[in-house]
Amino acid sequence: MAHQAHAYHMVDPSPWPLTGAIAALLLTSGTAVWFHFHSLTLLTMGNILLLLTMYQWWRDIIREGTFQGHHTPPVQKGLRYGMILFITSEVFFFLGFFWAFYHSSLAPTPELGGCWPPTGIITLDPFEVPLLNTAVLLASGVTVTWAHHSIMEGERKQAIQSLTLTILLGFYFTFLQGMEYYEAPFTIADGVYGSTFFVATGFHGLHVIIGSTFLAVCLLRQVQYHFTSEHHFGFEAAAWYWHFVDVVWLFLYVSIYWWGS
Amino acid sequence: MADEGWWRVVFRPLIIHLCFRPEGEMAARLLLRSAVRAATTCRAAPVPALTRGMAVGGIPTDEEQATGLEKIVMKAAQQGADPYSMLKPKEYAGSKADPHLVPSITTKRIVGCVCEEDNTAVVWFWLHQGDAQRCPSCGSHYKLVPHELPH
Repeated sequence: MAHQAHAYHMVDPSPWPLTGAIAALLLTSGTAVWFHFHSLTLLTMGNILLLLTMYQWWRDIIREGTFQGHHTPPVQKGLRYGMILFITSEVFFFLGFFWAFYHSSLAPTPELGGCWPPTGIITLDPFEVPLLNTAVLLASGVTVTWAHHSIMEGERKQAIQSLTLTILLGFYFTFLQGMEYYEAPFTIADGVYGSTFFVATGFHGLHVIIGSTFLAVCLLRQVQYHFTSEHHFGFEAAAWYWHFVDVVWLFLYVSIYWWGS
Repeated sequence: MADEGWWRVVFRPLIIHLCFRPEGEMAARLLLRSAVRAATTCRAAPVPALTRGMAVGGIPTDEEQATGLEKIVMKAAQQGADPYSMLKPKEYAGSKADPHLVPSITTKRIVGCVCEEDNTAVVWFWLHQGDAQRCPSCGSHYKLVPHELPH
């Protein structure tokens, strides 16, 4: 019952962009209020509204694509462009923090002792937990590729197994990194070393959590038969994001953990 | 599938909890049964061999599960049709014998003629059904042809 002469998707009116904008307002103002007046009310409201917005917006996209069939080839192509552009923007986001790190570490100021690592900083041994973390993420890159091939080959059991393994590896990374943060001999307040280390690795860790969540949603969808062997873009987007997270870690490991130690 | 022992014990209860479509497993068995029956009894009409899909590995194919506009586009493409003009338009000489054929869902459509390659001034005109019309600038022939939308 198509009244349109094109294959694109003219989306039905939706309240989620508005609730998302309101959530952004509550989060920003809420952060400022928290800093100055010690009240968490606005911030909490903003977080709840953000979570509700994300859940309902993406649920609607799944309904439109998987259940209603609106994701024709041109629509899917647009979604691919969108995800690639978003990941590119995230690359630039991390580039900023790498710039900050190299700015401070390539020409260490006299206040730091003119050296890098700065005087007094006990760095983490790059060949201990950080190396394990590297292995964990690289392995998760393999398992997510295994999951993709399983889906394309139509192997349900293997797809579920490999996707679950990928998510578990992601959780293991987060757990290990959490332990490292707890045990680290320096803090975020320890000069520019602490700032660059924790902001860069901290945002990376947040992206690992986001990526793991995205993959977990894909696992739920795979179990519920949403994906076909030809059409499973949600999974591909999650896999692209996961590979991006892995690559950022490799740059972090080489720059901050290894060269910077 | 000899290696599924430990996997079944550890993951199956978890997956069943998460799985909201237990009838999917049932559907897979029924589909397999009917496919086997069709393959063995129905010799007159050739049955496509099932190499993938719900009955084989448990992941549906687009053939089995596509719906809505995606399914319409897929079915049309299998027949060689392009009802939603997703592909590049065909090329014509533009002469009286071989006019540009312009598909339209109504009785007229706007045409923009780029008479020569890299021209920046596009010549716009309405093309009506009936005899072929000529571009007022370069004289290329255009003919409106009816375009059927699936419905």
